[in-house]
Amino acid sequence: MEKLISASLIGLSQGAIFALMALALVLVFRSTRVVNFAQAGQAMVSTYIGWEVVTRTDNYWIALPAAALAGALLAAIIETFLMRPLAKRASHGAIAPVASIIASLGVLGVLHSGAAMIWTTEQKLFQSPVSVNGIEIGSTVYPFSQADMLIISTVIIVMLIFAFFFQRTSLGLSLRAAAFQPEISRLAGVRVDRVRTIGWALSGAAGAIVGVLVTPGSYLSPFSLDILLVYGFVAAVIGGLESPQGAALGGLILGMSLSFTSIYVSSGLTFIVPFVVLLLILIVKPKGIFGGGNSRNA
Amino acid sequence: MHSTHRRRLILFIIVGAVLFYFSSRVGILRLYQGSTVSMYVIAIGSIILLTGYSGQISLGNGAFMAIGAYVAVLSQLYLNLPFFLTFFVAVLGAALAGLVLGIAAARLTGPYLAGATLALAVALPSIANLFPALGGEQGLGYDSGNAPALFGEVARFKWLFWISSLAALITCLILQNILKSRYGRVWKSIRSNSVAAELTGVNAPRSKVLAFILSAGIAGLAGAVLTMSLGTVSPSAFPLSLSFALITGAVIAGISSLLPGSLVGAVVLVGMSQLVGTLTTRFEIGDVLAQNLKELIVSALLILAVVFTPNGPGEKIREMRDHRRHHSHGGHR
Repeated sequence: MEKLISASLIGLSQGAIFALMALALVLVFRSTRVVNFAQAGQAMVSTYIGWEVVTRTDNYWIALPAAALAGALLAAIIETFLMRPLAKRASHGAIAPVASIIASLGVLGVLHSGAAMIWTTEQKLFQSPVSVNGIEIGSTVYPFSQADMLIISTVIIVMLIFAFFFQRTSLGLSLRAAAFQPEISRLAGVRVDRVRTIGWALSGAAGAIVGVLVTPGSYLSPFSLDILLVYGFVAAVIGGLESPQGAALGGLILGMSLSFTSIYVSSGLTFIVPFVVLLLILIVKPKGIFGGGNSRNA
Repeated sequence: MHSTHRRRLILFIIVGAVLFYFSSRVGILRLYQGSTVSMYVIAIGSIILLTGYSGQISLGNGAFMAIGAYVAVLSQLYLNLPFFLTFFVAVLGAALAGLVLGIAAARLTGPYLAGATLALAVALPSIANLFPALGGEQGLGYDSGNAPALFGEVARFKWLFWISSLAALITCLILQNILKSRYGRVWKSIRSNSVAAELTGVNAPRSKVLAFILSAGIAGLAGAVLTMSLGTVSPSAFPLSLSFALITGAVIAGISSLLPGSLVGAVVLVGMSQLVGTLTTRFEIGDVLAQNLKELIVSALLILAVVFTPNGPGEKIREMRDHRRHHSHGGHR
């Protein structure tokens, strides 16, 4: 019973992180058809900005929005000055289907090495605003801390804000329209280019929040968030790459499978589980759980 | 034998003879770099076949290299195979893994395939830590043997260079023949329009799986060659960054150019280390900067290449020539 509770709680906390990372990837993919591998690098750089803020002000609650802002700005820059011109230049030939993936790998490399030059590869300690020790109930200590609760609640709040934004505001509507039918949206007066940049910026902010949430309690280095990209991407693909609900569900599925296998089977399976889960789901549904409807063509 | 095949074969024999001649006239460092270049040529060739021709993207060819490497080592360790045979077994083992994943992957397109192969690249090296027989983090040793007695006393690095460059030459020859054959055209047709290709009677899923299997097998050979030149195999030899480096190498000189593309990419990847080393000592760059300079340059190069010469410099030059011709025609009229 104890094991079951622990596994579910850890799964929930990990799942929340994966879900937000997956959402960041989904936001970019639905608006510009780009799988953004630089997301991990962008989140990492934003987290370093947050770290700079937190070491100077000693206040986590200033660092979180500061990092989100930095993430949004960085993403907007990458979209405007690299991805948009690239879409026009590499539109034909053998490279066309993979050009954006390859460019984002390049950006990831630049961010990695740039950050290592600025902040060195030495691990930085990022203080958590709340306790990172397991919660004690009766005589048993659960591997679930206040920090995990902070993660879960923040992710839920961020997701709700996104859901409200997309469903209830006119800018959110333009974003969905531009992702769904760029040409027709343009005719209807949506400034598709600008709306796409906003999609990237939102995604950058989401990635930055992931970094600032997950880093306290462990260390920050130029490579510390890379593995989250893999998990986030797997979660996004499970969910179908297009749907925010899919991202949330995919994150949860992955988080739970990881925590249950590591508690009940072996923690040595951490890197193998995502592959197995992904493959099983893709064999049944090659375009993910929420993907592949005929409503849209890629 | 087809006449173009024969011409190609003769050309490769000449190149081999030239390499053989030079192997006795250069130092250990150049021989070592030559082996590494050969390894990259093979590995980049596997990406060019898969991405440049069949239009599928794999972020996991580093994983197939790992499979090839471990199969080679295990077949030597437990079956006592002579080391030439371990290379064949490595190709078969990796190709078999490619078949398994390829069947699953045939239904996956673009980003979904990228996701599956990325997860594979992360998952696979960690398997070595699960089974004691695979040697864990330390890995296993591999005996690359010695040159046959008829060559006399051959220095180790020269021997390694011979083997790896021979492997690269044979791979390029076979790949070139495949890519210029009916299969190459079929893959290209699927890449540009799979519906149209199927209407002409092409079995698109089967052709894609075939490309995946071939690519995996070739990557397996690259893994075996890498293991041979390191003399050991361990999970740390196959990080995710290796898979990314292969893509970089394939893109720099044009993703559908096997020759000279894969060679240019391999030389850039290997040469960059030396260039950065030279720059570092010449300009006394600090350690922090120097350690990361190579990745910065390679990544920047990748971005610039994909933005300015998306389909390789060759294509770019052709395009500019066509453009000019078009203009001068317009002027005359």
